[in-house]
Amino acid sequence: MARASSVAKQTGKTGEARKGERYREMSVAEFFARNRELAGFSNPTRALYQTVRELVENALDATDTHGILPFIQVSITYDEELEAKHGNAKKWFRVTVEDNGIGVPPTVIANAFGRVLFSSKYVIRQTRGMYGLGVKAAVLYGQMTAGKPVEVYSSIGNSEYVYSRKLYIDTEKNEPRIVERGQWRKRSGWHGTRVTITLEGDWSRAKSRILEYIKRTAIIAPYAEIVFETPEGQVFVFPRLTNKMPPPPKEAKPHPHGIDVNQMKLLLQSTNARTLLQVLVTEFQSVGKITAEKFLKQVGIPPDIKPRDLLRKEYNDLLVRLVDSMKSYRGFRAPKSEHLSPIGEDLIKLGLKRMFEPEWVDAVTRPPRAYAGHSFIVEVGIAYGGALEPVQEPLLLRYANKIPLLYEEREDVAYKVVSNINWKIYRVEFPAPIAVLVHIASTKIPYKGVGKESISDVPEIESEIRTAVQEVARRLRLFLGRKAREAEARRKIITIAKYIPEIARGLAMLAKPPEKWSPPSEDEERRLMEALIKLVSRNIEIPEIPGVDHEDPEKVVRSVIENIHLE
Amino acid sequence: MSSVPSDKVDVEARRRAAKVIHEKFRKVLDDILKGKPPKLVIPKRTLANTRFDPEKGILVMGEDVIERELLNMGEARRFMQTILMASIIYQALIENEYPTIRDLYYRGKHTIVYRDLRGRKREENTWEEQAESDSVIRDVEVYTGMLREDMLILSKEKGKVVGRMKIRSGGDTIDLSKMGHGAYAIESTPDLIEFLDVDAEFVLVVEKDAVFQQLHRVKFWDKYKALLVTGAGQPDRATRRFVRRLNEELKLPVYILTDSDPYGWYIYSVFKVGSIQLSYESMRLATPKARFLGVSMTDIFGWKGKKPYLTERERRNFIIKAKDLDIRRARELMKYSWFQTPRWRRELKIFLQKKAKLEIEALASKGLKFLADKYIPEKIQTGDWIE
Ligand SMILES: Nc1ncnc2c1ncn2[C@@H]1O[C@H](COP(=O)(O)OP(=O)(O)OP(=O)(O)O)[C@@H](O)[C@H]1O
Ligand SMILES: [Mg+2]
Repeated sequence: MARASSVAKQTGKTGEARKGERYREMSVAEFFARNRELAGFSNPTRALYQTVRELVENALDATDTHGILPFIQVSITYDEELEAKHGNAKKWFRVTVEDNGIGVPPTVIANAFGRVLFSSKYVIRQTRGMYGLGVKAAVLYGQMTAGKPVEVYSSIGNSEYVYSRKLYIDTEKNEPRIVERGQWRKRSGWHGTRVTITLEGDWSRAKSRILEYIKRTAIIAPYAEIVFETPEGQVFVFPRLTNKMPPPPKEAKPHPHGIDVNQMKLLLQSTNARTLLQVLVTEFQSVGKITAEKFLKQVGIPPDIKPRDLLRKEYNDLLVRLVDSMKSYRGFRAPKSEHLSPIGEDLIKLGLKRMFEPEWVDAVTRPPRAYAGHSFIVEVGIAYGGALEPVQEPLLLRYANKIPLLYEEREDVAYKVVSNINWKIYRVEFPAPIAVLVHIASTKIPYKGVGKESISDVPEIESEIRTAVQEVARRLRLFLGRKAREAEARRKIITIAKYIPEIARGLAMLAKPPEKWSPPSEDEERRLMEALIKLVSRNIEIPEIPGVDHEDPEKVVRSVIENIHLE
Repeated sequence: MSSVPSDKVDVEARRRAAKVIHEKFRKVLDDILKGKPPKLVIPKRTLANTRFDPEKGILVMGEDVIERELLNMGEARRFMQTILMASIIYQALIENEYPTIRDLYYRGKHTIVYRDLRGRKREENTWEEQAESDSVIRDVEVYTGMLREDMLILSKEKGKVVGRMKIRSGGDTIDLSKMGHGAYAIESTPDLIEFLDVDAEFVLVVEKDAVFQQLHRVKFWDKYKALLVTGAGQPDRATRRFVRRLNEELKLPVYILTDSDPYGWYIYSVFKVGSIQLSYESMRLATPKARFLGVSMTDIFGWKGKKPYLTERERRNFIIKAKDLDIRRARELMKYSWFQTPRWRRELKIFLQKKAKLEIEALASKGLKFLADKYIPEKIQTGDWIE
């Protein structure tokens, strides 16, 4: 709060000084403290939601990205101390997330949680986190609204200790300010992290979004066990459905198409390579020696030029030309995709099945593609019927690197694609009970903002999503076609079978010649009825639908007749 | 009801009808027991499948048939209805009953309660209105090749007869010349009537009940040795069958007297060739030799050598202006091939020219004597009728 008042003072002064502008530098921490809506903290409702999100995503990054089956516990409780202090308003919350991940080394905790733009994820790897901002934005929001420090407990796998830190962020300096530290010897083999952030929030408004977020996380990660406790003490448990996890993503080298001058400079500074040729071959993916030689020859840059020399001023133009050519040269192989970690068709189906108990579900994982030097994979799942409510447009479940995206739906490329699909072609007539899941896995997700809520319209991604949706939708159409035929067959059976008792009775009467006529016995009617049942069931076929139990037409006919009575 | 009928004719008719029904539906049953999808092959009762047979002089059904299949969704209901109706009629025949078409409607009407695709309870009646069950009766008629009269189904009696003849019906002998001011109501099952003593030389059928009564009061039938019949407007089946039998079995010439308008002419046409909607009955009900006695347009207006029966002044008093509907009907009649004889074309031409019609009562008001003692006998004697 101290910062806010000093800001006000400065603004006042600026107003008085008419003669010239006043200049100063702002730390990145202060920048995000002032512009918190950029990171998704625009109001108490969004802030509570965003805090849960950042912590859960870090927890998942610390587990599945490292091959650990996640066990995540989330709890939101009222902070009674602040409540008492501020006139009992129910707007102070403690958000705690605990994971069984790799933990944070004690020396790093302070920076990881207290220095904006400090991250272990600034490498080319498919992780949820990418900016080095998330948890700090939550910490900043917490200390600015509730005035309390973040509390971290963490232990790495091979350590004998659990370490704790309570810290604030010094916004002016963008530095952690530790206010309490602790250390315990471990009694069990526990490793992982537990983070608590205290903040002002609006639970009643955020509740449905947060629940939805956790549900969708469970859909995309059915291998995780997630426990969520609400401030009212309600506990939601999403048990682990499978021990199968997608293979963890691997770190990749940059692709020449995805590089810029700055990155190139950093790379040239740190490389051990002795020549430019070696730099291209060892520091980049998809570039072999022959390709590199061919490329350099074509652009006319000497292959044996020394990396450090390239950093010299007089070579600046050459460097710019080099990077430019690298970006546009068509001769490199496409970016590698082995290091990507898609969820896979089975897990998508599993997750959708648990959430919607649909009548039909299917999914596709597309082959890897690339945009601007970044490889990506699109996955799409569609669920139909069952517990899904009929809706006017498909329920869209968007994911990017396994993060559920809930806000800004209409800005998202996936929405653009899904809402422009002509669903009629696929026999889907709205309102329809349909959900479409779209997952984009990439070493770089082109988010529209640091709040990570929507993805930009990258043409390559857009066209991949369309292809994937169409592919699954075609299978849905097959199913719906068979289903329609099945319903038609059933309708036919009902239409005809309901007359069987009446016909049997009439024919039994007509069957006896006039000379020897007597009222037909029940047995005689039964016999005729059986003949009619056999006849009708043998002549109406119920089409088989894969994955759905095929019913014997005779059973259907019998059940129709059992339900009939005459009045 | 179920007492054994003493009447031999009745017993015989029942036996015959029941046998036909049994045999016809035995086929359906055999198919089902053999596992063959059953179907009823029924001649089509549509206008398109109706044609005029100039040789027989009646309307007949064409060759078109419909195959009513149980396994066809659109026909299953009608299939069920046909079986249901046949079984009720069959049972009634065996149990010596005389159901009316209304009885058949009530006996066969039940509600089938079943569950639909979504498991919801649904109700369906075997048939809704009597129009529906009546239409099923017609199907049974064409499928078995029998008329409802053959199956001893009763309908409302409408036709009447008096005259110089004795008949036997239901075991009783009835003298049709001793009916007082009343008349014998032609029964629904005219085939059960036995003709006994006949002392008549022709049959006069009058369209209107009132004219029938007037001619009866003056004992027209006694004086001219006739049988006097009326269908009281559009004739029912029994009246038509009765007239046909008089013509066919007793060889009595049949003269028909109607209003002079397209409606009256159509009634004549129904007696003579049959009804367009129900051509399947014509084989048994139509009287192709029936003659149209009057009232013709030439009776009113005269023609070449023929002097009209009405004076100029009478014409002015009695003639009614034809309505649009009459004109339309006349144009319709012109399309029918049996109205395309020179005499009929002349009639229709005059009608369309003059746009005038005449009710037969007008002739009676000219004097009942004129009608009974001049108009009718003179026209018969001089052969002034249209075939
Ligand atoms: N639960 C955790 N377990 C292990 N390491 C963690 C945990 N939470 C945070 N970290 C470490 O702290 C760093 C900073 O986290 P932060 O959320 O601020 O940024 P990020 O996840 O790297 O990127 P983003 O801004 O996209 O979330 C992470 O890169 C990670 O190394
Ligand atoms: Mg993060």
